Amino acid sequence: MRNRFDEQLFELNREIIEMGAMCEEAIALASKALMTGDLELAYRVKANGSGIDQMERDIEGRCMKLLLHQQPVAGDLRLISAALKMITDMERIGDQAEDIAEIVTFLDGRTMEDVNLIEEMARETIQMVTSSVDAFVKKDVNLAYKVIARDDVVDDYFSKIKSSILNIIAENSSDGEFVLDLLMISKYFERIGDHATNIAEWVIYSVTGTHKEV
Amino acid sequence: MTSKIFKSILSVAVAVLVASLIIITGVLYQYFSNVQEARLKDELNLVASATEQLGGSYLEGLKSSRYRLTWVDSDGTVIYDSHADVAVMENHADREEIQEALVSGTGSSIRQSSTLMQQTIYEAVRLKDGSVLRISVGHATALFLVRGMLQPIGIVLIIAIILSAWLAHRMAKRVVEPLNGLNLEEPLENDVYDELSPLLHRIHAQHLQIKRQMRMLQHKQDEFNQITDNMKEALVLLDNAGRIISINPAARTLFNTGVDCIGEDFLNSERKKDMRMALKEAEECGHANFRMKKNGKEYQFDLSRIDSEGITHGMVILAFDITEQVNAERNRREFTANVSHELKTPLQSIIGSAELMENGIVRPEDVPQFVKRIHKDASGLVTLIDDIIRLSELDEGMEMLYEDVSLRSLAEEVRETLTDAAEHKNVSLEINGDTGTIKGVRRLLYEVIYNLCDNAIKYNNPGGRVKVLIEQKPESVTLCVEDTGIGISPEHHDKVFERFYRVDKSHSKQSGGTGLGLSIVKHAVQYHYGKITMESERNKGTKISVVFDV
Repeated sequence: MRNRFDEQLFELNREIIEMGAMCEEAIALASKALMTGDLELAYRVKANGSGIDQMERDIEGRCMKLLLHQQPVAGDLRLISAALKMITDMERIGDQAEDIAEIVTFLDGRTMEDVNLIEEMARETIQMVTSSVDAFVKKDVNLAYKVIARDDVVDDYFSKIKSSILNIIAENSSDGEFVLDLLMISKYFERIGDHATNIAEWVIYSVTGTHKEV
Repeated sequence: MTSKIFKSILSVAVAVLVASLIIITGVLYQYFSNVQEARLKDELNLVASATEQLGGSYLEGLKSSRYRLTWVDSDGTVIYDSHADVAVMENHADREEIQEALVSGTGSSIRQSSTLMQQTIYEAVRLKDGSVLRISVGHATALFLVRGMLQPIGIVLIIAIILSAWLAHRMAKRVVEPLNGLNLEEPLENDVYDELSPLLHRIHAQHLQIKRQMRMLQHKQDEFNQITDNMKEALVLLDNAGRIISINPAARTLFNTGVDCIGEDFLNSERKKDMRMALKEAEECGHANFRMKKNGKEYQFDLSRIDSEGITHGMVILAFDITEQVNAERNRREFTANVSHELKTPLQSIIGSAELMENGIVRPEDVPQFVKRIHKDASGLVTLIDDIIRLSELDEGMEMLYEDVSLRSLAEEVRETLTDAAEHKNVSLEINGDTGTIKGVRRLLYEVIYNLCDNAIKYNNPGGRVKVLIEQKPESVTLCVEDTGIGISPEHHDKVFERFYRVDKSHSKQSGGTGLGLSIVKHAVQYHYGKITMESERNKGTKISVVFDV
């Protein structure tokens, strides 16, 4: 009985890692598309997105089955409930990566090379997502806390980008649409950072059993 | 064990009990029967003699409840009976004991009662008048006696059961105690029952076998570990669920994990899409390979499914560091592209000039100028091809003749060759120092000095100086070429030794040269296991030192 349960938990763990990896890939692809203006990459992000959605449904089903059939307690229960919450955040990351890719397709090949801040922000956000998945894989609470601390860096980038966009508008108001797209993209990155933070918080919960103090 | 012993003891006890019961009952019964019979006969004789003397009146007066006396006439008619009414009694002539007495004087018989529990013993004697006097007494049968003893025997039996159980328990404990205390590690050292020694010997033999097998296994494991620990390639073994069974140190470094990842999901260590796809592919097709960048290096991953008799047991992942190979490939590609380009440019110019002349577009007075250009480009091509041949010789690592070579005299030779060029650029070239004799390949060392001096003159300012200094030390010879030229900025320092690398791309045509000079120097120095260092500052000059071991 326990053996079967352990096997199912093992599968759950594996699926979450896979989904996390897919999110990492989605956001990495989206920012690469953004930097290079490569539409091919942008379309691949979309294809990736449906995979992530499917994965979310699969994991959700598995969690429900585990909860109903095995009635887990203690650490197992925390892992499963944290998994249920985490996949929602992961799915949102996937969606936002798709949104970024979609904006890239509207940019008509204009790239972000001249906007260093967004590139740095994207790199920081990707690192956050990777670290949050790593924290889950290694059940590393310290790493999770580091991810949470990094969210401030990403938030800082957002406000910096916002003010630099204001400058661009003040200097040259004719480029309004492009500038708004930039704002949207940086907002998406900022949201992705928040979701990575959520994942890190769920990792902390599933390991320690307590929520991080807000 | 206890129940077996219990059963044995109990069955023995019951058997003994039953046997003694039968024997004792039989013997005693026989004895008492005989006594009774004798007493009965005595009584009968007494009564008979009394009756003969006193007649029936004696019998009438006799009161006995135990014995029954019957007096029967010779024709069988009952004359007297002590226990019954004579009138209702039937004729007794057919009774066995009466008949016997009538014939032989005495008779006896035993008759069972209907219940089997009681029997009656009859004794008869013939009196002098021919009548027969009979005495009888009721007597319990052996069965009756047995029935009477059933209860005490039952009690004895219960005691026997309890005793047997207790004994069996104690015995089992006493037998098993030394067995439990057996030292199975050293079976032959035990001193218990002799009956156990075959078993102990067998255990000993098995111990030896197990030890031998363990040693063999350990040996194999050590062998495997030795191989995998020391190999540069990363090796990971997975079970069929994807958990890590074995991971060698190289793989632990590659995937940045510790020993504790054994037994965990491999995805915990590596979750990149390429790896996941390859794992899936290998699971389906049996084999997969792909290249992936990891930790700043390029790796080739080979995945193979492990099958045995149609059952999948797991997966082997092998990773090779192919960074150098990839770099070498890239260098070769770049070199080929560069060579083609460098060869093509002067050829284009030659073809262009030739075409112009062929078509008669060139004015006669300009022809010498065109011919001069063709000559210059063609000799440039020859120089380039010479350099490429030299480089490829060095690349091939061809065996060349080693001899004692004086760097000083080589430098003098070079100065002679370069005098025109130096004068043309108004650069002075001086040579100082020792003879600097080393063992080496003359032609290659000449190339080293020539190229260094050539560069020092070529990239010098008019009126500049080139100093060649040769220092002989006990263990090494240092060759130093210093100029007062344009210098090289620090960011180019690493690259100037690369093939076709030009610091100032725009002036390369002006200065001539193939872009291969320093590359040849580097390779030639490496060929002699020497060391090359460069100090240079923009607009101040360059100093290149080469140290050869003696």
